[in-house]
Amino acid sequence: MLNVYLFQVLNGLGLGMIYFLISVGLTLIFGLLNFVNFAHGAFFLLGSYLCYTLVTLTGNFWLALVAGPLVIAMLAWALERSLIQRIYHLPHTFQILVTLGIALIIQELSIMIWGPVGKSVPTPELLQGVVRFGNFAYPIYRLFLIAFSAGVAILLWLLLERTRFGALVRAGSESTEMVSLLGSNIFRLFSITFALGVGLAGLAGVLSAPLRGAHPFIGPEVLGLAFVVVVIGGMGSFSGALVAGLLVGVVQSLMTTLWPQGASLMIYAAMAVVILLRPYGLFGRA
Amino acid sequence: MDTKTGAVASKRNGATPLARPGRIRWAPGTTLAMLVVVVLLPVVLPSATLATEILIFAMAALACNLLLGYTGLLSFGQAIFFGAGAYCSALGMLHWQLGLFSALLLALGVGAVLALLVGLLCIRRKGIYFVMLTLALTQMAYFLAYTLSDWTGGDNGLLGVPRPPIALGDTTLVSLASPLAFYGLVAVLFAVIYIMARRITSSPFGSTLLAIRENEARAAALGYDIRLFKIMVFVLSGAITALAGALYAMLLNFAPLSNIELLMSEQILIMTIIGGTGSLFGSLLGAGSIVLLGDILSAIWPRWMLLLGVALIAVVIFMRGGLWGGLTSLLQRARRASSHDKEA
Amino acid sequence: MTNAHAPLLETRRLELAYGAFKAVDGVDLCIRPGTIHTVIGPNGAGKTSLFHCLTGERRPTHGSILLDGRDITRQPAHGRVGLGMARSFQITSLFQELSVHENLRLAAQGVDGWKALNFWQRLDTRKRHIDTADEVLERLNLTERAGIPAGELSHGQQRILEVGMAICARPKLLLLDEPTSGMGIDDIPTMTRLIGELGRDHSILLIEHNMSIVMSISDTITVMNRGRVLVEGTPDSVRNDQRVREAYLGEAA
Repeated sequence: MLNVYLFQVLNGLGLGMIYFLISVGLTLIFGLLNFVNFAHGAFFLLGSYLCYTLVTLTGNFWLALVAGPLVIAMLAWALERSLIQRIYHLPHTFQILVTLGIALIIQELSIMIWGPVGKSVPTPELLQGVVRFGNFAYPIYRLFLIAFSAGVAILLWLLLERTRFGALVRAGSESTEMVSLLGSNIFRLFSITFALGVGLAGLAGVLSAPLRGAHPFIGPEVLGLAFVVVVIGGMGSFSGALVAGLLVGVVQSLMTTLWPQGASLMIYAAMAVVILLRPYGLFGRA
Repeated sequence: MDTKTGAVASKRNGATPLARPGRIRWAPGTTLAMLVVVVLLPVVLPSATLATEILIFAMAALACNLLLGYTGLLSFGQAIFFGAGAYCSALGMLHWQLGLFSALLLALGVGAVLALLVGLLCIRRKGIYFVMLTLALTQMAYFLAYTLSDWTGGDNGLLGVPRPPIALGDTTLVSLASPLAFYGLVAVLFAVIYIMARRITSSPFGSTLLAIRENEARAAALGYDIRLFKIMVFVLSGAITALAGALYAMLLNFAPLSNIELLMSEQILIMTIIGGTGSLFGSLLGAGSIVLLGDILSAIWPRWMLLLGVALIAVVIFMRGGLWGGLTSLLQRARRASSHDKEA
Repeated sequence: MTNAHAPLLETRRLELAYGAFKAVDGVDLCIRPGTIHTVIGPNGAGKTSLFHCLTGERRPTHGSILLDGRDITRQPAHGRVGLGMARSFQITSLFQELSVHENLRLAAQGVDGWKALNFWQRLDTRKRHIDTADEVLERLNLTERAGIPAGELSHGQQRILEVGMAICARPKLLLLDEPTSGMGIDDIPTMTRLIGELGRDHSILLIEHNMSIVMSISDTITVMNRGRVLVEGTPDSVRNDQRVREAYLGEAA
């Protein structure tokens, strides 16, 4: 019985890391560009489908793991240059609406390309099977998922804390003028950050594909979950996204054993309770 | 009365016209135009059912406009009220044998109460967090409806929703079985709500909403309790949206799960924006054009929603006033041209 | 105002702390009715923080604020308007897309508090607010521009309207936060005259940088430094006070 819970907690950590990757991208973009990307869920979806296509064509998951997020980041870069840059001066509402439009377009295009029914993606050969600890068995891919995304999280943290790029992003989150004063092109920084944030959503999509497949209507659900994480963890906070992401993942995973139909519902209810008790999130300040 | 206000106006400024409440113009004109559209719709369109659908969504868009256009609140929560209105009125009719008006009243009440709750929760946060909360709550409502499948039918939707007649006690006055008769009911309700909304938006309350939209901090400094106004408009909007949802269930004889999906919120928002935010008539235009577009295109091209995404981006970048904004600027240009002709 | 000598606004040991830093540190302020009372001080002296406590934007961490003897420390910003306080903003804060007249009418209507929730009456029946707006328009010399959106006024006119909106509430006490800030040199005399005129029928608490204005129109001047009251007195006594010179010189050095 205890093993069931251990199993679910591990599952939850994996799920939580995926939520973290999605939300940290959202948060990164918001912190610097001060707008919320409502197409974030759609890029996750695109990541899953790219994984599907690359794995079907080449049979190589590792290629998909590298190329998928890169392609999506490049797409985001192009989108930022051509469209998003035109709307920075507009109020939030308009920025949301434009990204909402992008989300709709990506979703409908995905259905045109890949059809309205979801696709499943095979687990890469190297990561098939289970690891045994005594009488406890756990799928290798899920362990890989936790370890890999933890690695990404550490790299991301190093990037933000230890590099010039990270310093610029942090400075820019405080004031965009500061970045210009530091002699950097703020618009280039915007483009890179947008591409990076969206690329992380794509990476999350690629990573989750072998577990959950690719579904054309997953976008809004992913977006909703990312919002839950960000509302609980506080927008613009790396550690908030990590802790809240893992928390949401584990709670959701445990709920799946206790009350399968209500698992998703409980996540949103938990968010409502957090907002009632602490309007600025668990880690946020007024 | 007339002479008094006239005197005030002339005292205020000889040349400049009456100070306008916000940017709303030609109020009596649009009410008349609305009535004309409502009468002509079933004549012009191939089916009364299509016309009914347009007015139902125009009602929902109008309610959304009160939030977005007049108060500046972008809410992804409208599907909660639309879906709840559909489910509750349907369940009331199925299980408690509610009549037509009791079912509609139930929807209004449920919409108002839910909007109060959602409003109280979301208005704790401002700006972008408010938007994210409304979206998350819609997801929550969706999963709730999905989980309560004994009541809502889950994925299959709630089947066999009746369309009761207009009755007095046990005597049937008007049967609404024919599409045209039902259109009549929806048309009257729409017209009443439109005129009410017009009145509300030009009241002190409505003018304060515009002030909040323009500058919240200033409005608070002038003595307005912002939260109170926001919650009031939320309740108003939620009630109207729920009524639209109830009518939609009666139209389809069916309450699908998609009523309470995020996509429903998005569709209502898109109708409002494409029609023109801040214009009640714009909501009718927006709902009309998108319902028609969907009706024509969905048969030949199931992915027509792609166009909505494109249209949304185009409106934000090129035509922020929406269809109504485009129309008014065209009319103004024409007017100016004709007055130039007269001078010449 | 039964007693002309009783203070209109009083703060007692007012304190606003951000963590360990006390932006306002035990300020006792006393504004007598019918006077123009100016608060000055070098940058970072705590003027703006004090102002925020008085308007209700920030809740003081300690001490109390009394208006006409009534404790308003815990009143929210919007609740203070009905009690007779109105404010202007340092950074112009108008309803940009609404007409100049509507800006003023909304300002007049705000005093009504709950009554503004009336969602049935048409605007033109609320004649009182329209009349107030008309009067203030005339006073501000903006009658000609009543119908245009506030955002299309010149910068100087926007500053004038900013102050004008505060008087629409017919307040007992006007709180003006650097009314001349960002104004061109040509517009400043107009503003000075306006404030002087307003001083005849209102009590005013003024925060201002421009010393020539401060010295010419103030009845009382409070000089703040590092969150505390340094000196208080008439313009003449403040001008000649050694401590004040030191505080300002300290800033310059």
